[in-house]
Amino acid sequence: MFEFFLKYPRSVYSRGQFALLGAWPKWMLALLILSAAAGLALLVRSRLPRAAPVMRGWRAWVIWGLQTLMAALLLVLLWQPAITVAELKPQQNIIAVLVDDSRSMAISDNGSTRQAQAVKALQNGVLASLNRSFQTRLYRVDDVPARIDSLSDSRPSAPSTRLGDSLKQLSDETSDLPIGALVLLSDGADNSGGIAADAINALRARHIPVHTVGFGRERAEHDVELDDAVIAPRALAGSRLAARITLHQRGYAGARVTLSVRDITSGPAAGQAKILASRSIELGPDGNLRTETLMFDIGGAGARTLQIAAASLPGEENTANNTVTRVVNVGSEPRRILYVEGEPRWEYKFIRQAEEDDRMVQIASMVRTSANKIYRQGIADPKELAGGFPSRPEDLFAYQGLIVGSVEAGYFTPGQWELIREFVDRRGGGLLLLGGQFALADGGWNASSLIDLLPASLPTRAGTFHRDADPKAGTTHATAELAPAGVDSIITRLVDDPAANAAKWKKLPYLMDYEDPGTPKPGAAVLVNTITPEGRKLPLLITENFGRGRTAIMATGGSWRWQMSSPVGDTAHDLFWQQLLRWLVSDTPGPVAASVPAQMLLDNGAVTLTADVRDRQYNPAADAKVEAHILGPSGVSALVEMTPVPDSPGQFQAAWSAPRTGAYLTEVTAQRADPTTGTVQEIGRDVLTFQRMDGVAENFHTEQNRGLLERLAAQTGGQYWKPADLPKLAVAIPYSEAGVTVRETKDLWDLPLVFLVLLLLRFSEWWLRRSWGIV
Amino acid sequence: MKLARPISARLLPFWIGLSLAIMLFAMQDGGYQGLGRRRYYYQPGPNVPSEFYWSRLQYTSSYAGGSSYGYRGFRGGWSRDYPKADNDCLIALRRLTRINSTSPLNVVDLDSDHVFDYPWIYAVSVNNWTFTDEEAKRLHDYLLKGGFLMVDDFHGTDDWEHFMAGMRMVLPDRPVEDLKDNDEIYHVLYDIDEKFQIPSEVYVNTGRTYEKDGYVPKWRAIRNDHGRIMVAICANMHLGDAWEWADSPEYPEKFSGLAFRIVLNYITYAMTH
Repeated sequence: MFEFFLKYPRSVYSRGQFALLGAWPKWMLALLILSAAAGLALLVRSRLPRAAPVMRGWRAWVIWGLQTLMAALLLVLLWQPAITVAELKPQQNIIAVLVDDSRSMAISDNGSTRQAQAVKALQNGVLASLNRSFQTRLYRVDDVPARIDSLSDSRPSAPSTRLGDSLKQLSDETSDLPIGALVLLSDGADNSGGIAADAINALRARHIPVHTVGFGRERAEHDVELDDAVIAPRALAGSRLAARITLHQRGYAGARVTLSVRDITSGPAAGQAKILASRSIELGPDGNLRTETLMFDIGGAGARTLQIAAASLPGEENTANNTVTRVVNVGSEPRRILYVEGEPRWEYKFIRQAEEDDRMVQIASMVRTSANKIYRQGIADPKELAGGFPSRPEDLFAYQGLIVGSVEAGYFTPGQWELIREFVDRRGGGLLLLGGQFALADGGWNASSLIDLLPASLPTRAGTFHRDADPKAGTTHATAELAPAGVDSIITRLVDDPAANAAKWKKLPYLMDYEDPGTPKPGAAVLVNTITPEGRKLPLLITENFGRGRTAIMATGGSWRWQMSSPVGDTAHDLFWQQLLRWLVSDTPGPVAASVPAQMLLDNGAVTLTADVRDRQYNPAADAKVEAHILGPSGVSALVEMTPVPDSPGQFQAAWSAPRTGAYLTEVTAQRADPTTGTVQEIGRDVLTFQRMDGVAENFHTEQNRGLLERLAAQTGGQYWKPADLPKLAVAIPYSEAGVTVRETKDLWDLPLVFLVLLLLRFSEWWLRRSWGIV
Repeated sequence: MKLARPISARLLPFWIGLSLAIMLFAMQDGGYQGLGRRRYYYQPGPNVPSEFYWSRLQYTSSYAGGSSYGYRGFRGGWSRDYPKADNDCLIALRRLTRINSTSPLNVVDLDSDHVFDYPWIYAVSVNNWTFTDEEAKRLHDYLLKGGFLMVDDFHGTDDWEHFMAGMRMVLPDRPVEDLKDNDEIYHVLYDIDEKFQIPSEVYVNTGRTYEKDGYVPKWRAIRNDHGRIMVAICANMHLGDAWEWADSPEYPEKFSGLAFRIVLNYITYAMTH
C-alpha cells in the first residue's frame, strides 16, 4: 500500500533528503504561493456582496482555503520536488545475514522451532532475491559471530547470546569489506542485559543499517518467571537478610505460587538443601512486574549458595525460569561499635543488653557518669578509650560503627567533628545519633559542622526533646508507627509477614520520650515515625548513605519500654536494635575491599576483580602490592597480581577468566613496605566469592524481545521486520549509506498520492458547494 | 446549768481510734517522719518526668513484720525510713552524677504493670515481704527483662530465711552469690575496695554495728544468665539509716559515706548493665 501511493519503499523516505530541482529560486515559490493566496482572497471578498446569502460567512473562506491549497500544491510541482538517497551499487556490496543459534531459538512456537522458521524464511526466496543484487554472507551468532557456508550449519545449541558483542566483533572483522547491511534473524533474547553503546557506535560509524527479523511469540501463554533476586553479597554470620524477588507471570492471574529461599551450599538435592524462608503469594495481572521480600537467617560463616525459586504451576510452559541462584559471602569477623553516651540512661543499658546475644557485633562504650568521670565497657584492653573519645584517625577508624547518644555537640572538639565526618565519608563507617536531652538540636548539633552529615535538617530551635511519658501522672504517650519505606526494610522487620509486621509495630509499647529530628533530607529514608501525644507525626528512624558510609537518627531515648513493657520472651526490642546495629556496620569496608561487577558469571567466565586498598588512616594506598589468590572447582587455583587503576589511587584491578562452572573463592591481600624500616607489612585482606553458571541465562526472557530488536534497528538506520513481511526486505535493503553506494535522485511530482490529493481538493470543494445548496 | 456530759466509757475505744486515725492521716501528709523522732517534712516538688525515678517497692508485710502484719498501706514494713532516707539519697544522686533524676520520690507496687516503667527499685525490711503468685511473677518478669532490685535493712538468720522465702517465689532456681571486692558493681562509679558493716541509728547509742545475729555484713547478689546482677542484697546492714542520719553529728560519716557510694554505684550499675 505504501509503495502504491508513494512509489518508493519506506526506507527511501526515512534515509533520503528532500530537494526541489527547479531552476527558479525557492523564495519565488514562497512569493507565488503568498500571491496566489492573496489574489484568491481579494477575489472572494469582491464577490461576497453578490454571492448567495449562505456563502457570505465562514463558508466563503473554507472555499478560499481549498483553492489556495490546490494552487500551492500545483506551484510546488512546478519546482520539481524530488528525493535524493544513497543506494547500494548492485553486485558490489555484501549483505551479512546473521542467524541466532542460541538455545532459546530451539523453543518451538506454532509447531516448529524459531531457528527452523528463520531458515525457512530465508530459503523461501529472501536469500535468492538478495543474491540477485548482492553478495551474501551467512553467519551464526551467539556469543561470537561465526561464518557458515550453509544454513544447515546453524544449530540452536549455543548456551548464551550476546548480540552486542557479536555485532561489534563482526563490524571489526569486516572493516575492510563493503558491508551494505546486516540482516539479523533472532528472538532478541540477549543474555548480556542489552546491546552496549560501543556496538551501536561501531555500526553507526560505518553507517551499516541492521535489519532485524523477530521470531518467537511476543507473549507466553502460561509462565511464571523470576526476573531478579537481590540479596546482599556480604553478610555477618547469623545475620537476617532480605531477598527482594522480582517476578512476572502470564496466564496465572489470581493463582497462588510459593516463593522460597533455599541454601544449596551442600547441594541442590532435597536432602541437602535447607529451606531458609518461603511464602505463598497471589499472582497479579499478566505481565506486571512484582517485587516480594523474603527474610531469612543466613546462618554461619562461609560462602553460601542460595537458590531462590517460584514453585512450578500446572501447565507452565517453561519451568527453568522459575529459579535463580545467588552467592553470599558470610563473614565471621565481629564488628565493633563505639558508643558514646553523655549520661547514664536506660536506653544505653537496654541497647547493650540487646547486643549481648549478638556475638557478631560488639559494643565498646564510654558513658559520662559524672561531670569528670567516664565509665568504659566492652573495651578490648585497658588502654582503649582511656583518653576519652579518640582524636586520631587510626583509633576511631578501628571501629566499624559509631553511636552518639545524649551528648552535646560541644563535648567534641572541632578536630573530633572532622574525624567523625571522615569516619563516615572516608572510612565508610556507620554513624547513629540517638535522641536525648543533650542530643540533636537540643545538644547543639544543629550548629556543628556535621549538619551536612546528618540524614535530617535539624530544627533550629531548642526544646525539641520531650519526656511526655510520665507514668505517675498518667499522661498520654508517643508511639511508633512503621513508615512506607520501612515496610521492606531489614532493620524494621520484626515479623516475617509484612502485614503482621506492621501490626506488630502498632502494638509496641509507647516510647518513654521522643525528639523532633527536623526534616528528612532528600535521599534519606524515614523507616519509622513517631506519633506524638498531640497526634503529630515526626520521623523516628531516618537512614541515609553518605560518602562511603551511612548515617541514621533514632530520635528517642525511650525505646527501652519495648523491652520492659512487653511480655518476657518478646524479642521485638532486641531484634530491632540488633538489626539496626548490623545495618550500621555490615557494609563498613576493611582496609582492603574486593569486589566483582557481578557475582554470577553467566555463560562467560571473564571477570574483573577490583580492590580498594587503604592504609590505617583509610587514605588510598597507591603503592601497595595487591594479589588475588583464586580457588575454584576441580582444583582450579590461580595467583593473580592486581595492577593499579590509572587516575584512581588505591584502586587495583585484574582481569581473569573462570575456566569451569562452579563456585570460586578469592582472597585478595595487600602489602606495602614500611617507609622507615623497609619491611613489608600486610595492610589487610578480603575474601569474595563468585560463581560461573553456563546455560542458565538462555532459560530466561524466552519471549521475543521485540523492543530490543526494534531499538537496534532504529539506532542503526535499519528496520524491524516480521517474518511475514520478509519478502519486501530485498526492496528496502539497497537504500543504505554503507559499502559502495551511489546517490540517486527520484522524482516526486508524479507520485500517485499527489494526483489523489489534487482530485480530493477539487472534489471536496464541489461536495461542499453541493451540500450548501449553491450548485 | 447543764454540764457537758462526760465521755462515755463505752465510746472510749471509738474516740481513741478516731484520734489515731487522724494522727496517722496527718503523718502521711507531707511525709511526717516517725514517732519520737525529730520532725521531717518532705516537699515533693513539681511532678517532673525524668530519666531515673527513685522507686521504693511497696509490699504486704508478713507475720514477721510484727505489728504491721498484713499491712500494705503507709507505715507498713516497706516504708521504713521513708521519705528522708530516699530523698537524701536522691539529693546525692543529683549532685554527684549526671543521671537525670528530677522527678520526686516514687513508690511502686507489684499489683500493676506500672512497675515495668521503673527499671530500678529499692526495698527494705524484706524479711517482712510477702507476695501473691501474681506479684511474684510480675517481679520475676521485671528482673528477667532488665529490672534491678536493691534490698536493704534485714538482719540475722531468721530475717534471711524470711527474705529468701519471698525471693524463692520470684526466682526459684537462681543462686545467691557473695560479691567480691573486684566485682564491677563496686567500680562502676567509685572504686570501693573496702567495705564494712553499715549499722542503723542504733549504733549511736549502743556502738553496736549488728542487729540480731547478723554479725557479718553480707554483700550478695543474684545474676541473670549473662552475669548481670538483677538483685543486689545488702543483708545485716542498714544503708537506709546511713543516708537518713547522714546529717546527724552523732552518726559517723564513714558509714554514710560508704552507704552513699554503694547506692550510687548500684544505680549506675543498674543503668549501664
